[in-house]
Amino acid sequence: MAPLENLLPLELIDKCVGSQIWVIMDTGKEFIGKLLGFDDYVNMVLEDVTEVDPIEGNGQLPKILLNGNKICMMVPGGDGKTVMDGEEDESENEDAAMVG
Amino acid sequence: MEEKEDTHAEPLDLVRLCIDEIVIIKLRGDRELKGRLHAYDSHCNLVLGDVEETIYVAEEEDEDEDEPPSVKTIKKQSEMLFVRGDSVVLIAPFAGTTH
Amino acid sequence: MAKEEEVRPNGTPDDDQVESDAKDPSGFLSEIIGAPVTVKLNSGIIYKGDLQSVDGYMNIALERCREISDGRLVRNWGDAFVRGNNVTYICADSA
Repeated sequence: MAPLENLLPLELIDKCVGSQIWVIMDTGKEFIGKLLGFDDYVNMVLEDVTEVDPIEGNGQLPKILLNGNKICMMVPGGDGKTVMDGEEDESENEDAAMVG
Repeated sequence: MEEKEDTHAEPLDLVRLCIDEIVIIKLRGDRELKGRLHAYDSHCNLVLGDVEETIYVAEEEDEDEDEPPSVKTIKKQSEMLFVRGDSVVLIAPFAGTTH
Repeated sequence: MAKEEEVRPNGTPDDDQVESDAKDPSGFLSEIIGAPVTVKLNSGIIYKGDLQSVDGYMNIALERCREISDGRLVRNWGDAFVRGNNVTYICADSA
């Protein structure tokens, strides 16, 4: 990947168009899917989406427009199972998400 | 926009068509209003007349936690009501709704 | 102030970019107008219906709108207006 210095946040998102991303909402809900596009408010169009909710469980969604309003963070290439460096596998994605 | 000629150009047009009709408003916090829509604005601030407010309250039932909690409803009547838009979830003409 | 908060997913019809890129939010929305969609709110409530229109606040008009809970129909709303600030996502059912 290109050096991250001097890369604006929206430029980073733009680099992710066409690839898989992991989106974590303010509410704790998560979405994993292929980023097709986004706008200035970071509303996102995602394809082949897995919706992850600790209470409701998971769901599959073919194509969605995700409201950018409540997006907390986005992990390029993330599959929802990211383990941070130096952490063991038992620390699941809740722990990884806390690094926000 | 071209393809929408026979429908509404924007969502608030649906609310405009409800003026002077009976509407059901779903609000945040498990509340509903049914009444005649006198006025609205772009924030969804509303003025309703002859309103019935329904509040849904889940009752505590500690003896059997497996049972879904029964829901108590509280009803209130108002002659006229102003609703602040930020509590509005959904607006629908009463004529089209069925339980 | 209000202008800044607008999300403008509809874009403007005379904007060339909208035509060329159907994969951004405005392009996606114009593609699915009239189609069956699932709308999920932040509260977890799900509405299904035919997408009549969307505006810059993500306010949504749905035709034959049904409220779904645990995969079961709980209520028929007919035509319904959903205020955009409550919306988590709009899903195209037939994508």
